[in-house]
Amino acid sequence: MADAGVMRPMPHTARGAGVYNQKLGMWVFLGSEIMFFTALIGSYVILRVGNPGAWPEHGPREVLAIPITAANTFLLICSSVSMVKAFAAASVGDQKGLRLWLIATVLMGAAFVSVQAVEYTELVHKGFVPSAGLFGSTFYTMTGFHGFHVSVGVICMIYVTIRAFRGKYSAADHRGIEVIGLYWHFVDLVWIILFTIVYLI
Amino acid sequence: MASIAAPVEHDVGHSHELSFVRKYIFSTDHKIIGIQFLLMSLLFLLIGGILAMLIRWQQGFPGQVLPGGGVFPETMVSDGIILPEFYNSLVTMHGTFMVFFAIMPLLVGVFGNYLIPLKIGAPDMAFPRLNMASFWLAVPAGFLMIAGFFVIGGSAAAGWTSYPPLAETSEYSGVYLGQQLWCVSLIVLGLSSILGATNYITTVINMRAEGMTWFRLPLSIWALFITSILVLLAIPILSGAVIMLLFDQTIGTHFFKSATGLPILWQHLFWFFGHPEVYILILPAMGVVSDIIANGSRKPIFGYHSMVYAIIGIAFLGWVVWGHHMFQSGMNPTLGMSFMISTMVIAVPSAIKTFNWLGTLWRGNIRFHVPMMHACAFVSMFVIGGLSGVYMASTPVDIYIHDTYFIVAHIHYVLFGGSLFAIFGAITFWYPKMFGRMMNPFWGKIHFWLTFIAYNATFFPMHQLGLEGHMRRIYDASRYDFLSGTHGLNVFISISAFVLFASQLIFVLNFILSWFRGAKAGANPWEDTGLEWTTPSPPPHGNWPATPTVYTPPYEFSVPGMAQDYLPQDQSKDMVTAGQPAKGG
Amino acid sequence: MEDTIERHHPNYILVWGILAVLTAVEVGVAFLPWAKMTIILLLVGLAVWKALLVALYFMHLRYERRPLRILALAPLPLAVILIVAVITEFRW
Repeated sequence: MADAGVMRPMPHTARGAGVYNQKLGMWVFLGSEIMFFTALIGSYVILRVGNPGAWPEHGPREVLAIPITAANTFLLICSSVSMVKAFAAASVGDQKGLRLWLIATVLMGAAFVSVQAVEYTELVHKGFVPSAGLFGSTFYTMTGFHGFHVSVGVICMIYVTIRAFRGKYSAADHRGIEVIGLYWHFVDLVWIILFTIVYLI
Repeated sequence: MASIAAPVEHDVGHSHELSFVRKYIFSTDHKIIGIQFLLMSLLFLLIGGILAMLIRWQQGFPGQVLPGGGVFPETMVSDGIILPEFYNSLVTMHGTFMVFFAIMPLLVGVFGNYLIPLKIGAPDMAFPRLNMASFWLAVPAGFLMIAGFFVIGGSAAAGWTSYPPLAETSEYSGVYLGQQLWCVSLIVLGLSSILGATNYITTVINMRAEGMTWFRLPLSIWALFITSILVLLAIPILSGAVIMLLFDQTIGTHFFKSATGLPILWQHLFWFFGHPEVYILILPAMGVVSDIIANGSRKPIFGYHSMVYAIIGIAFLGWVVWGHHMFQSGMNPTLGMSFMISTMVIAVPSAIKTFNWLGTLWRGNIRFHVPMMHACAFVSMFVIGGLSGVYMASTPVDIYIHDTYFIVAHIHYVLFGGSLFAIFGAITFWYPKMFGRMMNPFWGKIHFWLTFIAYNATFFPMHQLGLEGHMRRIYDASRYDFLSGTHGLNVFISISAFVLFASQLIFVLNFILSWFRGAKAGANPWEDTGLEWTTPSPPPHGNWPATPTVYTPPYEFSVPGMAQDYLPQDQSKDMVTAGQPAKGG
Repeated sequence: MEDTIERHHPNYILVWGILAVLTAVEVGVAFLPWAKMTIILLLVGLAVWKALLVALYFMHLRYERRPLRILALAPLPLAVILIVAVITEFRW
C-alpha cells in the first residue's frame, strides 16, 4: 500500500487522531519507550532508596566526571535544536537549510555517543565496571541503553539525511523529518532525566 | 474530525505479480501474516501440550518407565525416568511456550492481524512492512527458546516466572546457557509484540472506514485495541527486567543478587508486567466470544456500552493488582492489603461482562454451532476460573494456597477453559473466511465434547489437590507423607490429561483436512453482521475494491421489520428493506 | 489536514537558551551545600521543567490536539505507580 518514500502531499485523515499514520505510530511507539526507560529508571530509584550504601557517600560525582557530561548534555540539547530547525526548514521547503541542519544533528549525535564511549573507557580504566555493585550495574545499563537508542537514532538520521540530499522531502510532504525528529527529541528528553538522576543526585 | 473522506479507491489484486516468496513467506498482507502466526502458534501449542504430557506422566506415574523415553538424552530421562532437573525444565518451558508462543500470538498475533483491518473496513494495517517484521521477529524468538533444549545444562528451569536468585545462579539450577537463551528469546519476542501493538493501535485509531465510529466497533476489535495498549505498555517492563536478569547472568551486574542486590525487585517488575499480561491473554478471548455469542443468539450483545467500559475498566485496574502474585514474598503487608482490595474490585467488570453474555443468550434464537459451543464453554469455565480467583485475592487465603495446585487449577481454568476454548471457537468461526472452506461441524462437535469433558476431568480436581496442600512444580508428591493421599487424584488427572491431548488430534485433522476437502464457504456462512463477511472468502489483497461505508452498529441481529435476521454493518435497514438484496450468505 | 496548514513554529532559539541556562543552574544546584532532600527536589523539578520544554516545544505537544497529548502523557501515571508502590517496601 502506501510507500512512505514517494513524495506526495500530506494525506487527509478522515477520522482518528487527526495526525497521519506515521506520526501517530511514532507517538504510540514512544509510549512503549517511556515504559522501557521506566523499568530501568524506576529500578534505579528503588535500588538506590533501598541500598544507599551501594553508592559513594557523596554521590556519583565521586566517580563520574560531571563537567564533561554536563557539556555532553548541552551538546545533545543542541542537536535537538538543530533537529527542530531542520524540521522548520523542511516545512517551508528550504532544502539547503534542511540538509545543513540535518548534518549538524548527525554530527552532534555522533559526538555525544563518542564522548560517552570515551567516558566509559576512562571509567573502566579506573576500575568502575558494570559488576562494580549496584552503582556500576545501574549506571552502565541505563546510560548504555540510552546510548544505544542514540546510536540507532544517528543511523536513522543518516538515512534521512541521504534522502534529504536526494530531494525526497518537500514543504508538502516532510513526514519523515517530523517522525525522526520526535524520536530524536525523545532520546534527548530521556537523557535530561538520566543526567539529573544518575549523575547529579 | 469534521471532514469525511470519500471511500478510498485502490486497486485490488494489482498486476504486479509477486513471487511465491513475496506473497506467502515475506508477505505484508495482514491476512497472510495472521495465518503465518496461526500456523506458528498452533505448532507451539502442540509443543506445550507434549511437555504437559511429560509433566503429567511424572505426576501420575512417578518412578515408572516413560513409554518412548529412549528418545531423550540421558541428561533428561535416565533409565526411562524423568530426571528432577529435566522436570523443572518441563514445567518452565510448558508455561513459557504456552503463554508467550501459543496463547498470546494466537489471540493477538492471529486475530489482531486477521480481524482488525477487515472488521474496521481498512485495506490493510497502517504499517504493512512493520507487520511483516513483527512476525519474522517472533520466529527467531521461537527458535531461541527451543534451542534451550539442545544446549549443555538444558533449557531454562526456574519456572516461567524465572525468579532470581535461582534464575541467575547456575550453581543452584544447573542451567547455564539455557537460562540466558530464555532471556534473549523474550527480548526478541518483546520487540515483535511492541511493533505489532504500535501497528494495531495506529490502525484502529486512524484507519476505520467511513461511518465506523468508536461505538460501532465490534467488541472483538475493542478488546484487541485495548489489549494492544496493554501490550505496548507492559511488555517493555518485561524487556527491562529480562535485560537486567541477562546482565546479572552474563556480565556480573548485581540487580537481583542476594546480598548485593534486590531479588524482590524482579518479582515487582515481572508481575507489574505479568498481571497486565494475563489480561492480554483473556481480553481478546472475551472479545471474540462476544462476537460469536451475538451471532449464535441472533441478538445484539446485551449492554454493548457497558461491555466496552468493562474492557477498559479491566485494563485500567489490571495495572494496580500485581502484588497479588506476591502475597507470600514478605512484601509490606499494608501494600499487600491494597492489592487485595484492588484485586477484589477487578472482579466486578468481569462479572458485568459475564452477566451481559447471559443477557445476550437470554431468549435468543440460539444456533448451537461449533463456535457457539466453545463460546458458551468459555463463559462457564471462565466463571469458575474467576471465582477461584476471588479466593486467591484474599491474602489470608492465598497464603495457604499460594504455589499449590489450586493456583494451577485457576491458571488453567482461565487460560484453557477461557482463552483456549475461545481460540477454538474463533478459529472455527473465521476459518471459512481465512481458507474459503468450512471446518467439518460433526467432528467439531466431537472434538468439543471430548475436550470439554476431559479438560474438566483434568483440571477441576486440581482445586482439591491444592487445598490438600499439594505444591506446584514439585517432582514427586510421594516423597511427602502429608501428600500420600493425593496419588489417586494425580493418576486420575494424568489419565484425563492424556485423553485431553489425544482429543486434540481430532481438531488437528479437522483443521488440515478441511483446508483441502472442507465444504466451500461463501462470503458469509454464519450470516454475521461484521464487515469481514461482506467480502469473498478468502478476501482479495486490499480486502475490498473500495473501502466500505458503515451505517449500523455491530450486532444488529433480529431487527424488527426485517425479513432476514441480520443487518450487515455496511447496510442500513432502509437499504435492505427497500428491496436491495442483502450481500453475503 | 492538520499539519501543513496550521504549523506553529515557536522561537526555538529562545527555548534552547532557556534549556542552556537551566542545565547550568542544575549543575550549580547539585554542588550547593544544602540539605539533600532540598537538592533532590530542586534537581528533579529542574529536570522536569527541561523535559517539558522539549516535549511541548520541540515535539510540538503545545500545538497538538488533546487526544495526542493524552496519548503522550498516558504512560506516566503507570511509572509513578510502579515506583511509589515498590518504594513502600523500604520507606513507610
